Amino acid sequence: MDRKFSFNKSMLFAGLLSVMILGATSHVYAVQSPDVLNMQQQMVKVTGNVSDAMGTIVGASVIEQGTTNGVITDIDGNFTLTVNRGAKLEISYVGYKTRVIVVTDVTHLRITLEEDYRQLEEVVVVGYGVQKKKLVTGATIQVKGDDVAKLNTTNALGALQNQTPGINITANNGLPGEGFKVNIRGIGTVGDSAPLYVIDGVAGSDINTLNPADIESIDVLKDAASAAIYGSRAANGVILVTTKQGKKGKMQFSYDMYYGWQNVYKMPNTLNAQQFMAITDETNFNNGVPALNWQTQLGEYTWNMLQNGWQGTNWLDEMRNENAAMQNHSINLTGGNEMSKFSAGFSFTSQDGIIGKGTVPNYTRYTARVNSDHVLLKGGDRDIIKIGENLLFYYSNQSTIAQTSTLYNDVYNSIKTTPLLPMYNAEGELFDYHNMQQTGWVYDDKQSNPVLQMQKAHGLNKDRTYGLNATAYLEVEPIKNLKWRSSFSYRMTNSSSRSLTTPYQASSNEGSASYIVSQSSALGHSISQENTISYILPKWKGHLFDVLVGQSFEKTIPGENLSIINSVAEGQQLPTMKPDMDHAWISNTIGNAATDIEGYPFDEWALASFFGRINYNYKDKYMATLIMRTDGSSNFARGHRWGIFPSASAGWLISEENFMESTRGWLDFLKLRASWGQNGNQSIPNFQYVSPIAFDLSHGYQFGQTHIGAGKLPTTGAYATTQANENVTWEKSEQIDLGIDAVFLGNRLRVSADWYNKKTKDWLVQAPVLSTVGTQAPYINGGDVSNKGVELSLAWNDRVGKDFTYGLSLNASYNENEVTRIANSEGVIHGNKGAIASVNAAEFYRAQVGYPIGYFWGYQTAGVFQNQKQIDDWKAAGNGVAQANPQPGDLIYVDRHRDGVIDEKDKTMIGNPHPDWHLGFSINLGWKDFDFSVTTSGAFGQQLYYGTREHTIEAFGRWHGEGTSNRYPRLGNSAMIVDHVTDIDIENGDYLRIQNMTLGYDFKRLWKNCPLSQLRLYVSVQNLFTFTSYKGMDPEVGFGGTDRYGENATSWVSGIDMGSYPAARTWLIGANLKF
Amino acid sequence: MKTKKVTKYIGVVALAAMTLCSCEDLLDSKNYTQSNTQNFPTSMDDVEMLVTSMYANLNHQAAKPESSYLLTNLYASDDMFTGSQDAELDHLMYRSDSQFDFCWDIHYKGIYAANTCLEGLNLMEAADNVPDAGLFSQRKGEAHFMRAFQYYELAELFGGVPLILSTTQETNAPRATADMVWAQIATDLQQAISLMSDKKYHEIESGHTTKWAAQALMARCFLFYTGYYQKEAMPTADGGSITKQQVVTWLEDCIANSGHQLVGDFRNLWAYTNEYTVDDYAYTAGITGVDGQPLRWAGNGNAEAVFAVKFGNFAGYSYENQGGYCNLYLSFFGIMSKSDNGAAFPFGNTNSLGTVPISLWDSWEAAEPNDIRRRASVIVDKDEFDMANYESGEVRGQWEETGLWNKKLQPILSKKAYDKVGSWANSLFWVAYPEYTGMTDAYIQPRWGAMFEDLYIIRFADVLLMHSELTGNADNMNRVRARAGLPAIGYSLEALQQERRHELAFEGQRFQDIRRWHIAETALSEQNNTTLKNLGVSTVMRDGKYAARYQATGGFWPIPSAQIQLSDGVLMQNPGWDTPDARYTTWNFDK
Repeated sequence: MDRKFSFNKSMLFAGLLSVMILGATSHVYAVQSPDVLNMQQQMVKVTGNVSDAMGTIVGASVIEQGTTNGVITDIDGNFTLTVNRGAKLEISYVGYKTRVIVVTDVTHLRITLEEDYRQLEEVVVVGYGVQKKKLVTGATIQVKGDDVAKLNTTNALGALQNQTPGINITANNGLPGEGFKVNIRGIGTVGDSAPLYVIDGVAGSDINTLNPADIESIDVLKDAASAAIYGSRAANGVILVTTKQGKKGKMQFSYDMYYGWQNVYKMPNTLNAQQFMAITDETNFNNGVPALNWQTQLGEYTWNMLQNGWQGTNWLDEMRNENAAMQNHSINLTGGNEMSKFSAGFSFTSQDGIIGKGTVPNYTRYTARVNSDHVLLKGGDRDIIKIGENLLFYYSNQSTIAQTSTLYNDVYNSIKTTPLLPMYNAEGELFDYHNMQQTGWVYDDKQSNPVLQMQKAHGLNKDRTYGLNATAYLEVEPIKNLKWRSSFSYRMTNSSSRSLTTPYQASSNEGSASYIVSQSSALGHSISQENTISYILPKWKGHLFDVLVGQSFEKTIPGENLSIINSVAEGQQLPTMKPDMDHAWISNTIGNAATDIEGYPFDEWALASFFGRINYNYKDKYMATLIMRTDGSSNFARGHRWGIFPSASAGWLISEENFMESTRGWLDFLKLRASWGQNGNQSIPNFQYVSPIAFDLSHGYQFGQTHIGAGKLPTTGAYATTQANENVTWEKSEQIDLGIDAVFLGNRLRVSADWYNKKTKDWLVQAPVLSTVGTQAPYINGGDVSNKGVELSLAWNDRVGKDFTYGLSLNASYNENEVTRIANSEGVIHGNKGAIASVNAAEFYRAQVGYPIGYFWGYQTAGVFQNQKQIDDWKAAGNGVAQANPQPGDLIYVDRHRDGVIDEKDKTMIGNPHPDWHLGFSINLGWKDFDFSVTTSGAFGQQLYYGTREHTIEAFGRWHGEGTSNRYPRLGNSAMIVDHVTDIDIENGDYLRIQNMTLGYDFKRLWKNCPLSQLRLYVSVQNLFTFTSYKGMDPEVGFGGTDRYGENATSWVSGIDMGSYPAARTWLIGANLKF
Repeated sequence: MKTKKVTKYIGVVALAAMTLCSCEDLLDSKNYTQSNTQNFPTSMDDVEMLVTSMYANLNHQAAKPESSYLLTNLYASDDMFTGSQDAELDHLMYRSDSQFDFCWDIHYKGIYAANTCLEGLNLMEAADNVPDAGLFSQRKGEAHFMRAFQYYELAELFGGVPLILSTTQETNAPRATADMVWAQIATDLQQAISLMSDKKYHEIESGHTTKWAAQALMARCFLFYTGYYQKEAMPTADGGSITKQQVVTWLEDCIANSGHQLVGDFRNLWAYTNEYTVDDYAYTAGITGVDGQPLRWAGNGNAEAVFAVKFGNFAGYSYENQGGYCNLYLSFFGIMSKSDNGAAFPFGNTNSLGTVPISLWDSWEAAEPNDIRRRASVIVDKDEFDMANYESGEVRGQWEETGLWNKKLQPILSKKAYDKVGSWANSLFWVAYPEYTGMTDAYIQPRWGAMFEDLYIIRFADVLLMHSELTGNADNMNRVRARAGLPAIGYSLEALQQERRHELAFEGQRFQDIRRWHIAETALSEQNNTTLKNLGVSTVMRDGKYAARYQATGGFWPIPSAQIQLSDGVLMQNPGWDTPDARYTTWNFDK
């Protein structure tokens, strides 16, 4: 019901938008029609064929110069066009030199285009402008929108995983619509380490709001010199997204779709009922606890089922949603002429979750995008005044099951809940606490039916997000090469969410006696304006300078948050309150309800910036760029708010040198690059420079007589929330980059390599402080880290004969991360305690000087004591033991400190969750109209915390007699120190994943006279196979723990596998249609 | 020509646009929902809110009873086992490195709140902004009291601790000596006594501390310090001292002028005699009290509560420590009953922790067979429960079962509440009040949340007993005995010790009392060789290592290791906590 309604609404909106924009552009065409009529008799029909040395070129643009009259070549390289006699035809194609041919009497043309690899005229986006790729002196990487879209991921980041060396992209988990952890060139801070996203020039946008089909290109600014133009927010790199822009020429319409079936790729081998009882009995025996009488423990109902051969409940299997659907439809429309161009796109994406039967998670997104530009005044060959706009509207809808922390995770619940608990009672209803009591289940009344919890509480929710990004700009070029560009952007993000908990009682401590409805909404908006002036100086003796100066100002307009949680005891609800989402409204709980209301503004924030860039180029051989930016941020106190971020870079195009003449036969292009720069990070909450006093009931007290009625609130308290730090200021990163780009063998082989050394200084962190501080730690500029690494990308493309093309590419990157300073006395920023299952669990990851950020910190072990003699020998050698009275089968802790005691001083690095190596390679094959591709991505050198081992059959790997295991100790509490992590739970996380395999065929050739220029159908499989030795469900684990309340997920750690929602294996069929 | 003009114009516009933004004012942002320490407080209303947050800390402390002063003292004493497989505190051991993190942290948060309050008051005084001198002085005294109270608990738990007396001082401070800490406590309490009003307790809003509470706390601190450290007098921060005579004078002032008095019957102190339970509870139904009146709970803020923590209708899990807005301590001791059938009526169904050693029951019966306080303080399951419906310890998963539980810290049920809501789990007696409408927080259920009983910190009976102990005069002790229906006796230390044990059982005093009397090793060792049941199976507590652990630690607890690391060696660990012996692994550690 709900989904259908919103679909209609957004389609209506999309339709309206498209009518508006089509109206605008058709007007432009209409102006020209009288001229066209007059010239009818002078027209001539030209046909032709465009090819290169290897064969025909599909999609080359053929345009009558100075007009909008044009076509693109078809599948055989042919075109037909009616032009004025004597007109000049301009034939162009990316990567080839453009040719101009005067139409004479010859009406069939054979045109051969020459490859332009020496020139590499491709442009890349560099921030406030574009630059020819061959002249770029920084380390940037461009991924074409088509290469993103063809991997059929719902989020563009998912498709970048194997295409961007140096960028670490890890899915948080496999829930539909969930985000990614993205780090460029290693983690730079324990604060906010996410890169800055700039979509069509608007900084701070959200890439999740785009459909991959809307993307023209993604440019990643990896080194400091390139990113410096974004100064204060560029310390973690910049990702520039350009959406599809209007193109002059024939109107193009394309429709892309796919539909897929997703399934769990690998199930964990959880214990069955009999195995579980065996393990429990052994544990109790070892603990010296009386053996359980299972018959009386489980009660008659469950015991009888076991007697009849039941093997217990496989909870995860019960939650599986088989063949979960996934689909995407996108429409793109581009067209225009010399004066007006536009591009519009509409899309619909929907993905169901593979786990969550009964309350299947879903993510649905609609987008509508219109970009257009119009020349108002044209003079000679330049546009004197041009205006344009980018508009993007999105709407998304997500419903999830619990997956935020170990305390709130249905997948983990399904793995850890005992298989002995029945899923259904005798009536076929979900087994609950009442059934436990009824059937005499007394084994453990805190075991909660995870399916019941999911269906009654965790799975009933709906989050909607919608927003608008709008930019309008004016570009004036009063004299040639001098451009003033002024733009104004408005960004709005709205969200509203609802959730429901219905009355249920899964166990003695898990349930709700009430209907709890929560409704919240938030509205945020921001504006930004910027002005840039650029000028390309006249060439002087081969020296070419172009300069850019600019200013920008960004500001958030105070936004609003409002949330209400209402609960009404079962039996007291209104008749309109029903246990489903359709009825989950606050109004249905009014009456005898307990209310929790919050309403507050988003903090104001502003950033003022000035920047400049000088590009220098001598004869296309020697290039240099200087950038300077200064930003003032409202996050800091006066006197500490302005930061200056300079950079310099240089390039040498060796292949242009005369002395390289002899190598031209095999070396097409060779460039060396070097750069240095500084960037900033200002991402902290506002007002850290004073000690804010908050007033609320969280520090209230109930003076006077006890108030037991509703609405009798305690006295409000005032308290200082954090210690002030007036001196808090920018975090800075400084980076040196050396790079080389080369093209060999007639453009067949492209090689690019980079080395970098990035130092991030003065982290903005809330470093842990002593309890004696008495309140929350202030934000300080408190740490340094260095990231060093290399990146390599290799690509080989060639053609064999007329019909067969092939390409191979490999991306590899290596990064080494080391913390070099932490500004508190112990040099440590502690990880959250209780990040893993137990709320009492000790800290086991941290940032510490001399180690990688977020390394796993715990006890090293040296096997398991096999016999008494070994224990005696161990002690005699002066080693400490952790157990007061060690026995054979106990874990041997390494007494690193050699003081005869095992304590925290003996803890050390037992793993690093961050990969050393990232690897991605892909193969593309084309034969006639078939295409086939394989894409893989992998990560190596990282470790994972395998937190669910004891619930799987691997529990049987325990020691149970001399020689049975030298890794896992005997079962029971005293064999190891409770709540501490040791290296026995740390596993190698290396993996290589076949991410995508696609086979497609273009049917256009079979139906020559169909109006389509492309009719491609394909089948594809995602996540086909993962090569790994890891025993858990999926080695790609983004979860890095939360605090003990299940909040504030850690951004700088990953790889803690407490039952992460697994990635699906998906079979897809799809189609690409172009008119 | 034309283009030149256009250029000029554009240049001017661009320049104007750029200069527009160079203004710092645009980067100043406002906070619409918070003040800051530079502009707060400015009025008595502001002061009230700062004072309130000091008291809020008492609720925050209650949010994690497992890391609290009260539960640590209860379990460690000879009057209570943990009733759990995790019995480390009973044996003066630790199980988790983070066991005392919360306890340490929350006390320093309380100290910070008191320091913030004192500094705010100083700010107002310096600005000559004292609208109501009497109230101003009272509130200032409360701030001194609260700071002293936090340090008193820290000093008993950990010994010397870092002394933080302002919000701006260096916080990586080494541990002050115990003498320095107790001197600061004495000074703050002295300030509190002199600053606070002479009004009777009931003339001051219930919940706020009073001059009388400060006098009583001074006596408690004096007794611990002079007893444990075997000193004659207590030092003050300015190098002076506080003598026993001063303390006796203050106590006499409190006894004579506070308005506090003993409630008529000992059982009226405890919520099981509330009007909605008393007639349905076999032990209290139809009983006439020592004062000749029917038993009836004296309620929150009664005449005997010299200082108590207050709770309210506000517990939940929406934010940190909100759980402590109800008396969460009680939830540790409610009697577990799997099928929740009211078999342990009127005691609520929670965790069954804190079982009582038979040694206490037996010695009490032998010494004072007619003491009504024994059954008023201890639950005997076979005498009070519906044993036919009551599950065995094996079923309940009960450890260290003795058949005895404390009766003072219990969630109390009511049949009238049951009639109202139809489920024992939701039938705490507060629910029976007509005005009860449910908890304000959506996430907490009545079953655990509706526990609004005050937690006594200092009772008037304690004041009387302290007076007898300091003076050697049995009169006040005999007032306490008379209220329990017992005859007067002559003063002896042994009699006083026994009287305190019986009167104040399970109120958190015992462990500190046996420490200051230097009888801890023998008293604690009484728990050895006790029989008890684990999961329904009889077993004997062999050597609980009580004496050895007490010798090793002196009864102090470990400074949180995270704090020691964070201090980079400035904080030093207490003795006895750096060895494998200190770590508790399993109940059968002595096997």
